Formats: sequence, C-alpha cells, structure tokens
Amino acid sequence: MQIKVKCSCGEGNCPEWAIVELQGVVQAQPSFENRLQNLQIGVLCRPSSQENYTFTVGYHELTGTKVSLKKPILVLRKIKLRKEEEEGEDDVNSGGVELDVIGVIRHKILFKTRPKALISKPQPAVKEKATAPMVLH
Amino acid sequence: MDIIDPQSGCSGGAEAVLVDEKFLPEILHQRVTLRGQPDEDAVLCTVSKTYAVKFVGTSNSVFLIPPTDKVSNLCNNKDDNNMVVASVIKVAPGCMELVEVAPKLDKLKLLLSQNPYSFSESSDMDISEEREKTRIGLYRWDDLVDRLQASDKELRMGLQSLSAIEIDGYWRILDDKYMNAILNMLLHNVILNDWSINALNEDEVVGVLETDGFPRNIATHCLQVYCCKVDEGVGLSTTWKLDERRICVHLAREILKEGKMKIEIFMEKWMRRVPDGMHASFDMLEGEVLKEKLGMDTWVYSFSVSSLPSTPAERFSVLFQERAKWEWKDLQPYVRDLKVPGLSSEGLLLKYTRRTQPTMDAEPIFSAR
Repeated sequence: MQIKVKCSCGEGNCPEWAIVELQGVVQAQPSFENRLQNLQIGVLCRPSSQENYTFTVGYHELTGTKVSLKKPILVLRKIKLRKEEEEGEDDVNSGGVELDVIGVIRHKILFKTRPKALISKPQPAVKEKATAPMVLH
Repeated sequence: MDIIDPQSGCSGGAEAVLVDEKFLPEILHQRVTLRGQPDEDAVLCTVSKTYAVKFVGTSNSVFLIPPTDKVSNLCNNKDDNNMVVASVIKVAPGCMELVEVAPKLDKLKLLLSQNPYSFSESSDMDISEEREKTRIGLYRWDDLVDRLQASDKELRMGLQSLSAIEIDGYWRILDDKYMNAILNMLLHNVILNDWSINALNEDEVVGVLETDGFPRNIATHCLQVYCCKVDEGVGLSTTWKLDERRICVHLAREILKEGKMKIEIFMEKWMRRVPDGMHASFDMLEGEVLKEKLGMDTWVYSFSVSSLPSTPAERFSVLFQERAKWEWKDLQPYVRDLKVPGLSSEGLLLKYTRRTQPTMDAEPIFSAR
C-alpha cells in the first residue's frame, strides 16, 4: 500500500503556520462545551517589540516567548481519493489516500510558566454573546 | 484554503509531522511516500531512504493555527479596536517523528522465491492469458512497492543483490538448476570456442547461448551476474571478463550441495571445476563456507550470508544457533553487511553479543547475550 506525500503549494510557497503551546489544558465552561466553534479562547498580546508574549485566558495570564523549532514541523492533511469507476468492474475500494503538506511551522510561542491570576476580570473584548469565559486547568 | 474555514471547526484531520528541513525539497518534488501493509507500522520513504514513523505524544496543549490575514467580522462592536482573530483548528496531541531505519527486504526474497524462473517455464512457448492469471508468485515492480517497506533505490539494490531479472514485466529470480545450467554452458563455450576469459564479446556470447536454447535476455543477465564489464564499446559490442570470485564461489556452492565433506576432498573437486586461468583460494569463501573440526579432520559445509536474515536480532540468533562461540575473523564476514542507521559495527556487537577474552593474548570470543 502506498500513500503519496505531496505539497500542492509549490516550492517556497508553503504557508507558515503557528503553534501556541502551553502546559496543561484549556477547558470551556460546561455550558459552552457543545458550542466550541468560534468560541474565543483568549487574547494573545505582544506588549513590546521584543519576543515576549502574554496570553490571557479567562482570568489567567500567561507569559511566554517565541521559540524557533530545531526541526520544522510539517502540517499534513489526509485527502481521500476517488478512483474512476472502471467499466464492468465492481470497484469496491474507491481510491486511496494522499497526504498533502498544507503548512510549515518554524516557530512556536511557548508558555511554560505558572499562570498569574488576574485580580479583576479583564474587560471582555467583544460583546457577551460571542464569548464565554474559559478556565485554565 | 478551505480547510481553515473557522465555520467548519476542526475539520480536515490535520496531523503534525516533525521533519528535518532536508525533507522539504523531497516532499515538494513529490518524491516521498508512506509504505506498508495495513497490519504493519508505516514507514516513510524518500527516493533512497526509509524512515520509521514514531508518534511522540505531549501532555502540553499545542494549538495549531493556520495563517490568516483576515480581520474577523466576529467583532461587531464598533468601539472595538480591530483585532486580528487567529483560529485554532486543532489541539495537536503530539507529533510524528521520523527515524532512519534499514529497509525491510527479507520479504523480497520470500516473494520472488514463490515462483522462480525455471527450465520448464523457458521451454513453454504457450503462455495463454488464462495460464498467466493462475500463476501465483508473479510480481511487477508496482506489486513489490505495494508490499515492501523500502525506498525505490533500496528496492532496486535488493533486486540486484538477488540477481533478479525482469521478464515480461515481472521480477523473477532464476532457480538454482537453471542458473547453474546457463553458467556451465557459458564456461563450456569458453573452452569450446577458445574465448579469452578476460575479453568476452557480448554479442558473440549471447548469440551462442541463444542457439543453445537460452532466451536472449537471460543470456545477457548471465553475463551481468557472472562477469564484469571491461569496455563499454561505443556502437560496438560490450566486452566482459569473467568475475573470478563470483564464479569460484558459485562452483564451491554447487559442490557443497552434496553436503558436508572433508576439506581435502572439497579442494580437489573445486580445483578441478575452476576454469583455466582462474585461481581459487579458500579465503574467497568467507561468508559462504564454514570449517568444522571433527577429530583429526577438518570438514567444510555451505553456510551463506545471503541466506541469513537481514535484521540484526534475527541474524545473530541464527549465527549463535549455528555456533555458540565465534572468533572475530570467522564472524566478521557474516555481520559486515548488517546496516543499522545510527549504530556502528562495534555498537552492533555490543548490543547483540557477549564478548569474552580468556587471556590477554587470546582472540576475543563472541557468544549470545
């Protein structure tokens, strides 16, 4: 069995993706568990021109830095191929699978310190209906 | 890029694969594939190398964020500073790491041995479609790629080491009797036609073998297996010379097919078979023949490295089953072809053998761990 790995972006055109990495788990409040799509996780800021970042999730604030990856990470997507039906033959196995490289990741924003609890809740950046506070575990 | 549509959530099943920068050009040029049967661990193959794919998990939360230059219209508050929204499409549970490994080619010999090309086949002129379908053990290049976990280059080298030949689109190995017959015919003709063993004319040799009943492509294959090219004649026929070692080894193996024999008897038979102008010496047979002392006599028998497994653990297991203790000079020919990326030959010995040295000046002995 063979699965081809290819990149349809063309040489040098592979879009650069990003990774935000933190220790632990981000969870939605129970009432929002079924409506994760478009739910705001938090706010990522770079306060100065240096590579320091803050990530605010609910009432927690994390600080982190941008790190270059020693080995770049490729993002692959599975594509199911559809074989053309052959005349008179019962094509039970309709095609195979291909892996498409859709992005390259060379850096990540890594948060590895304990989150700081903000004393007062941050001002919601958007209206109530579009967001829900999230809790960092 | 449709998959990054935030409306559809975590769609498309994006996976993260950790790769070295050097893979990128290969992938961009469509030269990378995953290979394996459904019940095997997948390997990733470039044109020339094979890599094991290992999943490395993480307990961290890794948010995968595709690029976007859209300012989202989710923020429909007028007082809002236009914030850029980056959509997280997936929390990656980990990464796939690639580790170079030796290709898995033992299966190749197994597959091609299912239906070796023999005399009965070569004389059979009638190959009806029906007969072709009922034959098992016939594999085309694509069939082999489908079943084996090796890169194209490694697969080709594997086929070459088996002296396989492509006949009618199928890769075949010639059965022993057939190989033996054609070589003997070649050697016979060398004497008959008074050819120089160091200057064989391809057209002439192939022509004679054809009249002796061997198909042209197989005659040419015989030259490739048992001879070395001397001259790539431009427009003229290529010149070949007999490969002394290959032929002497083949003849030795033929003799030892009868079984173990005393070394003196073997040497006598061997010397008689070797063509004029060739010199056979016992050290040509390292990795092919083993000596055994029984009382006052030394006996020899066939034990070819080419019949042993290619994975280190199994290779050493078979070697120590054959003989509990080995001296390095006897062991070396049976392990020097083992290739494990990242492991030196000393490392291999350390990993799979126990080394003892009775006294300072004695030869070190290797045995099973």
